[in-house]
Amino acid sequence: MITAERTIDSRPKDTASRTKAVALFVRGLVKRYRDGTEANRGIDLDVQFGELLSILGPNGAGKTTFLRQITTELLPTRGSISIFGIDPINSPREAKRKMGIMPQEAGLFETLRAREHLELFARFKGLNRAQARRSAGDVIHELELDAESSKRVGDLSGGQRRRILIGLALLGDPPLLVLDEPTTGLDPNSRRAVWSVIRKRVARGCTVVLSTHYIEEAERLSDRIAIIDEGRMIATGTLEALLARLKQSYRLTYRNSADELIVRYFGKFAEAQRYACEWQIPEYSLVRASLEDVYFELTGHRFTENESAKENECRV
Amino acid sequence: MPSLSAIICVFRVHLARLRAEAGPFLLAAIVFPVAMYLFANAVHGAAADDLRQRFLAGSIVFSLSLTAISWLGYLLLENRFTGRLKLFATLPLAPSSYVFGILLFGVAQAILGISVLITLARLLGVQMHPGLLPLSATVILTMLCFCGLSVIVAARARSFSEGSLMTDTLGAGLVLVAPVYYSPDAIPHSVRLVSQWLPTSLAAHAAQAALVGNYSLPDLIALAFMAVVSLSIGFKFMQFREN
Repeated sequence: MITAERTIDSRPKDTASRTKAVALFVRGLVKRYRDGTEANRGIDLDVQFGELLSILGPNGAGKTTFLRQITTELLPTRGSISIFGIDPINSPREAKRKMGIMPQEAGLFETLRAREHLELFARFKGLNRAQARRSAGDVIHELELDAESSKRVGDLSGGQRRRILIGLALLGDPPLLVLDEPTTGLDPNSRRAVWSVIRKRVARGCTVVLSTHYIEEAERLSDRIAIIDEGRMIATGTLEALLARLKQSYRLTYRNSADELIVRYFGKFAEAQRYACEWQIPEYSLVRASLEDVYFELTGHRFTENESAKENECRV
Repeated sequence: MPSLSAIICVFRVHLARLRAEAGPFLLAAIVFPVAMYLFANAVHGAAADDLRQRFLAGSIVFSLSLTAISWLGYLLLENRFTGRLKLFATLPLAPSSYVFGILLFGVAQAILGISVLITLARLLGVQMHPGLLPLSATVILTMLCFCGLSVIVAARARSFSEGSLMTDTLGAGLVLVAPVYYSPDAIPHSVRLVSQWLPTSLAAHAAQAALVGNYSLPDLIALAFMAVVSLSIGFKFMQFREN
């Protein structure tokens, strides 16, 4: 495997064979922008063939920077990447032939009709006219866009356009899908439809790497989850393995008399119940700890979109 | 290396949008150059045939300049600043295929504009015997050279408005500063030295020769050289990957 121009490659020799044994192989990936910001700080990651890996992290954690380097859009400062044994740094087009890429944000051709857009872009992936038509038709059906297929893209809703973007990545059945926050901005039904499409692709042997800031999405969809925070991959594993890292796996949440949100963890369900009785807490929630709690445990800060709740939150 | 199938795909994507935006396309390629031709004729009264041929050649260059610098520049800028370039960047597509696809679209539009201009000039009684090959060589080399300029502007502009202003200024300015619609004697000596070497001046000479069926080899060679230089710089700047 060839490494980036500025790479100091200290990997052992046998890694060359390992790069071919996995779909995606990343070592020591560092991205430092010109202003000195280090968005990725030495990321190592292996993704197996046919695996669905979610990269979870809050906004600004370095998820998109990481994915943009994999998809050849951004040149790494240091480190190496291999996609099915291909080095995307030196052979970006060859690597992109293996990938279906959905960027977090991209513009569509608004005057084209949805089906036409998909068919035209399928041709870029080397499909002939009949294959392009079939592939576009399949994607439209899978993403539940049948009713919108003859509408102009500019007339579609934000969610429908996002599904077209996902559809563009799915065209031609690439063996690796790299999806940057695919369901952001989608309503729950559309989100479920997209999950279903992704699951079907994985069942057919496709490898998927997606980023998300929805904990539920990572929990429900992934074979493995990688948690990224401040540019570092702080944990990787199955949901069960990540949850097993918690010593106290029951979460009691309530508001105290000062209206502060209190979160307390317990090793056993009965212990939590006893605590609530002893302190005469009138209203509380007692649930099994989730990925969010793992995140809290690992980073010391909460993975929440509700900033006001975050401000008032106290950990006991 | 660019691939023909990818170039045709880029061309088709942009052609498909022509359906919805035919008005501005026609305006850019036909109306302005025709208006300039009629204006130049009107200012000079009953002009001699060689003068009217110069106006026609000038209008052809103006049409090419508006198409390749202003309009293609606008498309390249629009693609970059609306995130469409990002969409192309997700595909196994060489940046040069993307540029040549857009250039092909521009050439198709230029052929339409030039056909209208020549037909109009014939109706107005201009004597000419245009040679297909010399005219094609002039159009293609001029388009390549101008397209290189628009790629450079589109790739380097810091904002859509900055780039748009630059392409508009270059598109019209390069024609009006060059001795295209007027004699080189009409401009100050110091400016003349530069303006005679502008690609628009070379293209106008070559087009005037092509309108009577001749090749103006020195102009075509100079245009080819400028096309190679401008496109090389343009391709260097136009990357699908950020550093």
